[in-house]
This record gives sequence, C-alpha cells and structure tokens, in this order.
Amino acid sequence: MPANRADRLLWRTACRSPGWLVSLGGVSVVGAVAALLLPDAVARAVDAALAVGDAAAAWSTLVLAVLLVAADGVGELAQAHCAASGTAWLRRRLTRHLMALEMREHRRFAPGDMVSRLSGDAAEAGGVGPLCVQLLTALVVSLGAVVALALLDWWLAVVFLVSVPVALRLAGTHLRRTNDDVAAYQRLSGELSARLLDAVRGVRTIEAAGAVEREVGRVLRPLPALAEAGRGMWRSQAVLVWRAGLLLPAVEVAVLTTAGMGVSSGRMSVGDLVAAAGYVALGMTAIRYGPHLTRLARARAAAARLLAVLDVPTRAGGGRPAPPGAGRIVLCGVSVHGERGEPLLSSVDLVVPEGAMVAVVGRSGSGKSTLAAVVAGLLEPDRGQVLLDGVPLRDLRSDGMGALVACAFERPTLLGATVADAIAYGCDVSSRPSPEALRSAAAAAQVDDVIARLPRGMDTPMDAVPLSGGEAQRFGLARALAREARVLVLDDAMSSVDAATEARLTHAVTSSLPGRTRVVVTHRLTTAARADLVLWLDGGRVRGYAPHHDLWCEPDYRSVFAVP
Amino acid sequence: MTGRGLRVGRSSRSSRVVPWRRPAAPGGAWRLYRHALSGCRRPVLVLAAWSLVEGVPGALSGHLLGLAVDRGFAAGRTGEGVFWLALFGAVAVLGALGARRVFAGLGDVVEPLRDALVTAVTRGVLVRGTGGGRLPEGAVVARLTRHVEVVRDVTGGLLVQARSLVVTAVAAVVGLVVVARELAWFVVPPLVFAIGLFVALLPSLVRRQQEVVFADERAAEAAATVLTGFRDVVACGARQQAAGQVVAEVDAQERTAVRLASASALREVVVAVGGYLPLALVLVVAPGLVAAGRMSAGAVVAAVAYLTTGVQPALRSLVQVVGSAAVRLVVTTRRLAEVSVPKPVAETREPSGISGASGFSASFRASGISGTSGPCGAVVVQPPSSPLSPPEVSVRGLTFRWGPRAEPVIRDLDLDLPPGEHLALVGPSGIGKSTVVRLLTGLLPVERGEVLVGGVRVDQVDQRALRRAVALIPQEAYVFGGTVRENLALLAPGTDDASLLRSVAEVGAQSIVDRLGGLDGSLDHGGGTLSAGERQLLAAARVHASAAGLVILDEATSHLDPRAEERVEEAFVRRGGTLVVVAHRLSSAMRARRVLLLDGDGALVGRHDELRARSSLYAHLVDAWHTDVPAPGMVRS
Repeated sequence: MPANRADRLLWRTACRSPGWLVSLGGVSVVGAVAALLLPDAVARAVDAALAVGDAAAAWSTLVLAVLLVAADGVGELAQAHCAASGTAWLRRRLTRHLMALEMREHRRFAPGDMVSRLSGDAAEAGGVGPLCVQLLTALVVSLGAVVALALLDWWLAVVFLVSVPVALRLAGTHLRRTNDDVAAYQRLSGELSARLLDAVRGVRTIEAAGAVEREVGRVLRPLPALAEAGRGMWRSQAVLVWRAGLLLPAVEVAVLTTAGMGVSSGRMSVGDLVAAAGYVALGMTAIRYGPHLTRLARARAAAARLLAVLDVPTRAGGGRPAPPGAGRIVLCGVSVHGERGEPLLSSVDLVVPEGAMVAVVGRSGSGKSTLAAVVAGLLEPDRGQVLLDGVPLRDLRSDGMGALVACAFERPTLLGATVADAIAYGCDVSSRPSPEALRSAAAAAQVDDVIARLPRGMDTPMDAVPLSGGEAQRFGLARALAREARVLVLDDAMSSVDAATEARLTHAVTSSLPGRTRVVVTHRLTTAARADLVLWLDGGRVRGYAPHHDLWCEPDYRSVFAVP
Repeated sequence: MTGRGLRVGRSSRSSRVVPWRRPAAPGGAWRLYRHALSGCRRPVLVLAAWSLVEGVPGALSGHLLGLAVDRGFAAGRTGEGVFWLALFGAVAVLGALGARRVFAGLGDVVEPLRDALVTAVTRGVLVRGTGGGRLPEGAVVARLTRHVEVVRDVTGGLLVQARSLVVTAVAAVVGLVVVARELAWFVVPPLVFAIGLFVALLPSLVRRQQEVVFADERAAEAAATVLTGFRDVVACGARQQAAGQVVAEVDAQERTAVRLASASALREVVVAVGGYLPLALVLVVAPGLVAAGRMSAGAVVAAVAYLTTGVQPALRSLVQVVGSAAVRLVVTTRRLAEVSVPKPVAETREPSGISGASGFSASFRASGISGTSGPCGAVVVQPPSSPLSPPEVSVRGLTFRWGPRAEPVIRDLDLDLPPGEHLALVGPSGIGKSTVVRLLTGLLPVERGEVLVGGVRVDQVDQRALRRAVALIPQEAYVFGGTVRENLALLAPGTDDASLLRSVAEVGAQSIVDRLGGLDGSLDHGGGTLSAGERQLLAAARVHASAAGLVILDEATSHLDPRAEERVEEAFVRRGGTLVVVAHRLSSAMRARRVLLLDGDGALVGRHDELRARSSLYAHLVDAWHTDVPAPGMVRS
C-alpha cells in the first residue's frame, strides 16, 4: 500500500475489479512478447525467402500477429472494465458522501465544482489502473526492443541508445509554445461565451424587437480576432510537428546504416536488417507514451481533489425514532456563527407551543432565515440545542425528519421527474401521499389552477412546466403541505405571489392547518397580524415575542414592515 | 426530450427551454458540417497538395531501403548503401516539411469551420427564443460553446492524424505495388475487405459513443440538480433518495462505457485482416517468387518495409483515431445541429395577402418609419422621443391553451386598443398575463380567434414594421457587455445622444448613467454590478428612446420601488402612444385608463372603479393590496 493518501485512494480504485486488472496484465504480457517476437519472425521469413527456404517462418509470423491482435482486443475490453468500474466506484462514493454532509459543510463546495469533481476528476482518477499497466507495458516493450537490437548486433543497440537523445534534443529545442496566441484564444472565446449568455438572458427582448440577426452580429464581434489567434496556434504547432516528424527517421537512418554495414561485412543477414527496422519502431514506444506520464500526474491531482471532499466529516445523525407529541419546539441558548465567525443568532431561547403559528419578522439580515433553518433541523447550531417534543433534533434519525418537519422556501428547488413527483419528493414508497392528497395540497397552495392548465396535469414532466418565481414558490409550498408533518417551517415562502393569492395562502396556512405547529418567516403585515405570536428578531437577538397587537405600539416594530 | 429517462429535478431559478432537445435527424449534422466547411474549398485543396508532399517518404522509403540492400549492402558496396539510406533520410525531411505546411494551412480550414458553427449556434439559440417557455440556462450555453470547441479540435486532429495516416497507407500501397506488382493480389484485397469491415462497424460505434455522451450528460445533470438543491433534498428528508438517483445514473454510465469498449474491441479484427494478413501472405509466397527469379532480395525487403512500417501502423492508428475522434465528431455535431440555424433568418416576413400591403404597414410608411422625404425633399429623421402613430389593435374571440387536454389560458377574449390607450393587465399570478401579451404581439401563434393590428391579422403584418412599432419589455431586462450608448440605442440604432439622455432623465435613470460614466461608460456582461431594478430602468429608457408606438411593460418594473415604478409609467404616458402595463402592483392599475382583469374563467375590461364594483375578485385584490400597504403616516411616524 502506498504511503501517500491520494496514492492509497488510487490504489484502492485500481483494485475495484481485480479480475479484469489481472487479465489486463496477462494480455499485456502476451501482447508485449508477441510484439517483440514479431520482427524477428519476419526477419527469419525474409531470410527463408531469400535462401529459398520453406514457408514455416511465414506462418509463425501469422500466429504471432493473431496473438498480438487478440491480446490488444481483450486488453481494450479489460481496460474499459477496469476504468469504468474504478470511476463508477469513486463517483458512487463521492455522491453518497456529498449527500450525507452537514448543510454547513456542503455550502463550502459550489455545485459546479462538485459536478466537475464527480465527472472529471473521478474519471481521471478512475482510469489509473489501466494507465499504469499501459505505461509499464510500453517501458517493457521499449527495453525489450533495445535488448533485441543488442542480440542482433550490439552495435545496433549502442547506436540506438546514442541517437535517441540526440534526436530528442533536435526535436525538443523548439518545444516552447507561443503562449500569447493560446492566452488570446482563451480570452476571446470566453468573451464570446459571455456575449452569448448576455443575449440568451435577453432573448425575450430580442425576440420582441425582431433583432435576431443584429444581435447575432453583436455576439460574434470577437470572432475575427478569435480566428486569427486560432491560426496563430496552428502555425506555432506546425513548427513543433516538423521537428517531431524527424525524430523516428533520424534514429532509423542511424541504426539501419549500422545494420547495413553489418550486412556488408557478412555479420548480419538481410533479414536482420529488416528486424532492426522493426525494433527501432518498437524501441520508440516509450517515447510515444511520454505524454501519458502527465496523465498519471493528473490522476494523482484528481485523487487529491476527491480526498478534499471525502475528508469532510459527514453528519453524525442520531438513531432515535420520532417521539410522541404534537410539535412543541424549544430552543435553548441557540447561537449560530457565520463563515467568518460573525454571529447570526445569539443565544436565542424560545418555546413554540404545539399547534401554534409563529410569525418571524425583522429587517433583512436579522437572522430570520437562520432561525428557520435551525428550527427545521437544516442547520446545526454552534451552541445550544433545539428540542422537538422533548428530543434534541440532532438525535433524530435524519431520514425520519421529513415526516416531522416540512419546509418551504423563498426560492425552492423542485426535484422530481413530474409534477406529482415534485410535490411528493422525498416521501418513501410507503408514505407517499395519495393522488387525492397531492391534489388537495396543490389546492391549498393555490397551485391547482396552474396544474390544470398544463398539458398533462399532474403527470406533466417538470421540464415542460414554465414556472415564474411565484409559481415555483407555490409548488414548494404544496410539497411542504403534502407531507403531514407536525411542524411546518415557511421561510419567506409566499413573497413572490400577488396580494390576492397571498391572502388566500395566508388563510390556508393560518386557519386550514389545525394542529400543526407553524413557523412562518414573513415581511407582510397581514401574515404577522394573523399569527398567534410574533417573534421579532433584530441583529440575531430576540427583540420581542408576543402577539402582533402587543408589539404594534413600538415604532421600531412598525418600521419593520415599511414599504421599501 | 422524451425517452431520455429520469430527470431528477430542476432549480426554480435556472430553468430550461422546453422544446430544445429534439433528436436531430442524422442528416442534419452532416448538412451543418458541410455548410460550415463550404467556404474553405481552396484551403482544402492546398492541404491536399501538401499532403502529397507529406506522402513522399511513405511511397519511397521501402523502395530506397530495398535499393540500399540490393545495390549496396547485399552487394558489398557499403558506400552506395549509405547513399541510399541518406536519400531515405532526405525524403523523410521532405515529408516532414510537407507536414509542416499542412499544419500551417490547417487554420484556414478549421477556423472558418469554427466561425460558421459558432454563428449557426448563436443564431439558433436566439431564433429559438423562449418558445413561450423558460429561458435556457447558462449551463446549456456553456455546453454549446464547449461542443463547438470539440468539433474544432477533433476536425483539426482528424485532418492532422487521419489525413496523414490515409496518405501514409495509400503511399505505402502504391510504393509496394510499383516495386512488386505480383504482390498486389495478396495485399490489396485483404486491405479493402478490412476497410469495408470497419465501415460496417462504424454505425454501432457511433451509436454506443452517443449512448456514452448521453449517459455522461444525464449523470452530470442529475448530480448538478441534487447538489444545487441540496437544502431542499435535506428538507424533504431525501438524502438517500437523491443519492440513489445519482448512483443509478452513474451505474448506467458504467454500463454504457463497457458496451462501447466491447464494440471498439472488434476494431482489432480490422487490424488483423488489413495489417497482418497481407504481411503473412507476402512472406508465404515470397520464396516461390524469389526462386522463380521474379523478385530480388531488395524487393522483398521493400515489400516487408512497406507493410510493417507503412500499412500496418497506419491502419492501426487510423482505426483508433477514426473509431474514437470521428465518432465523437459525429455525436457532437449532431448535438449542435439540434440547435443550429446555419442561414440568416428572414426577419422581414413578406405580408401574405393584399390586405397586408395596405392597411397597417402602409399607414406606417406614411408615418415615416425610417426617415421619409419631407415636404421640401429633405430627409426628415423621426425624433425618437415622439413615437410613431400607434397602430390600432383589436382582438376577437381569442382562445389559447398550452395543450389539447389543458384548461384554456384565455377564452373568447374581445379587446380593443385604440391609439393612445393606457391599459393595465391585472390577475392572479400564473393566470397567463404574459401569454396574452405574447399573443397580442404575434410572438405566439393564435390558436382560435384573431388579433388584428391596423386591421390586418397579426401573422400577416410585415414583421419588421410590426417589431419596430411594438416594444415589449419583459421582466428580465436585457443588458449586455458594451457601452451604455450601445445598450440604450439597441432598438433605435443611430439615435443622437441628446435624445438618449432625454429618455434616461425621463424614466429616472440619470443617476445610474452618471455612475456608469455617461453614455460612453461601459457595462459588464450580464449587467455586472447593476441591481435588477437598475437594469430594468435602463431597459425602460431604451424603449422610451425607441420609435415604438405601442409599448408593453410586462412586469418590467417589478424590481423598482413603487415611486420609481410610477415615474417610469408616467414617463411613458407623457411620451404618447399606446401603453399596456402588466401590473405587478395594483397601483399600476389605478393609474391606467382601463383595466383588463384576467381571472381564469374569463376576462373583464373596465375602469378601475367600475371593475371594483363589478368583480368580486378585483375588489378582493384591491382590499388585499390596501391592507398590505400601511398608510405612510402610520409607519413613518
């Protein structure tokens, strides 16, 4: 086992399908041996032909060729199996790990970055086993070719070993790229994407103005400069190519001249000369695989990037089942810090009686959403604890939480393939709401009329549902209402709907959900007025916790609801 | 796209256009690619010419090696052998020189190809528009740009590698046939057979490669969805479900990769038949030919050299390169063809029918849409702040639904918009206000009933005139990277600075423009540091400066505070012309002359106070509005 942790991960990845890895090794050995024997067999066949010998040597060529081809074919299959299973293992592991993270830890990674680790880095690291086999095989073949040359005539090996570095030097002197064109190309192509994205965001305006061609012209303005930079890149590559193209012939001429002299002096046969030509090509195999060494370096870097995620501890998660109760929430000395240590909530003590509706109000930045997240169990407080019916939230089984606390957000992400799936998302098969329950949740969330206008109603794929912000909010609300949870947490979940709809929603939330404890973050006066209690937050502290009309006499409280 | 399996979900903010991923006909990809290459016939010929030079060593090397043996080394004349080998080296230099020229010329083929593809994709994305649905998300755009780069790189790679391999193989075969004609029968038929076999294998390779691409995309999409919506996943207690969905896609991905490999492994048969079989056959028959005196030692060496250093490695690499790169090219080009529009779109749709030529568009010409001759023969440029005479719009029996089973969004709507009208559209969110606006402006085809603009059916009106006469400002303002002037003059290019600044001042965007550094100030992509409200103000100033006679604000002031919103609306009232406001706040309706109320079952038109008396929904809306707007004195005491 390697000492480095990233290497250890790579080692375990490579060992995911040991059977295929071993067969890959096996066929690689067979292939390498066949490849090394082939030039000699050809040489013997040539000699036999010139000496008017028999054709047996020719048949051994064919046998070796078949062996070589078969080994390559099986090798390709084994390689794909190894790489695919290693990659998939890493991806599964990473996915499960990411899904088990604490919210707070999860936020440290941008989704795009995670996706690139899942798709790019996992693939890079997953193919490490076959890559190592390939590199080893190439090395063995090259060394074997040098030995074979030496066996033909030791001068051949000497000339080969001397001429390769000279030729490499000749080819490599101009390996510096002209980086200016590359940088310009990248910059301009980024500029082009940014312009296209601008236009895509404004596509409604462009469509309405009938200005497609004009805007196409605007987006494409950097195109000529981009093409010029591209041409520059090709030109500088041309210089590289021409040098690299001389590498093999230079070595070939050197070795074949030596072999030819051997033929002249009678030390070697004509067949040996043919064999020498074959071994020169084989000897260069390792050089052709040189670039693959950077792939190995990339695989190690990728493994390190995967480890950076896998090292983050996952949510501990208690194992306690749901306690009996009706949704009484108690917060004891709850404090939450932000990323830079700034306090978001400072020792909040609170009791929400079962079945009560509490409106959470305050200016932006006063900690309303943080409080909602803490109550919903989405955020573990840094200090203090949250009790639901007497049991700390952190001790509850994480997948049972969905049945106890339901949340709706200002900007919900709707997951699930169809409308029905999106509303029932997260409910396991046994507790999935009936179609009627889904419909009544949709009706309560005032989204049933939107669903009725969809081409296939509840079965419409979510892809095909055009959603405004307000509609998405109401779908999110329906999702929260569909699960009959004890506690309902609404984090500004009705802000984007018009006043009349909001009035109906507030009515649904305040009066038609008897028995459920509701914590509602809101900016609206009407919602606060209808709540049993108002929790007024200011700078992460509780400024007041009383019915709306008791607080209304305070000018500071009234200013919370000011029209911006 | 149907049949593409599970989509796990989607963020409400970033959303995609519905009818996007139509499976393209395979011919579409080929047509697109051919169109993109159509401009580079000459560079391709130049490339072919240098390829011939590049192929010289392939054709001569075996022969030169044979001569070195026959006349030199085997005959005991070392000097002559070395001479022929030196020539062998010189020919290799010539070939490398050819390769260099080929590379230098690649830019002339590959870069125009990329230009044409970028153009086609950009146009395709913009033409397709929203389809009335949601906006395509940034990731889709990013993927398209990446696809174009893939096509460029792969085309370049193919031109470099595959072309050179073909040249090498052909040159070697030609060289071999010239040196030893008798051997042609043992070399050419297996080679032809092998190539035929490979061509037969290609479709299944393409199919499986495509499966791999799709599986990769689906897995990435599934992961992106649950990772973006992680908070919702946790809140729904769906950690396991979400992980399970991604893992299912990962498993599918693994299966497709293995399936592709088993198809690829068959390519080795091609190498065996085309590369090694001729070699073995030549070696079997050579003794007989040498004995009969029909072949020299040098010819045998030459033939073996052509086969082992020319044909066999070239075929092997060709099969590898074409089997992966070309297949990737096909798959990627197909994806691009789904969204591309190669040829410019005709935005000036000719009016079909005689009525179109008269009526509306004729009245437009009379009103001087683009600077007509004045009484003294001088060109009169339309002052942008005084809009064109607005067209009269009337709607009769308009009905629209999104699908045959869906409830209609709008049913039997009758509406008249006389010139100078100020109408507010009011209704609960999601009721279809934007749909009505799109129907009115001809952006969405009318299903039943008719929309007449200037007495002509909206689909028969001259489109260019229509788009100039009508300006629609959507909720998401279009602000692009460029100068403030470019942004403001989008709808009326060439408008003078004074008019632009007048419009800026009218809508209340003065402080923003000042902060940006005046008209010459520049804006970052996506509006950069501007807030959503500031972007909306710029969009309003732009339309204010245009010549449109009918202006529609589709929640275009939603991010402004009520006072700023009022200022914008008043600026458009002062500007003249017809104004339609899709109301975000009820205050917009109170300012309008008439109100169109949509409530799902039908539509009502009337003055604010009339509707309040006639419609309980409207009264309800008004009440809800009033209770939520505390009287200023009460709050700011």
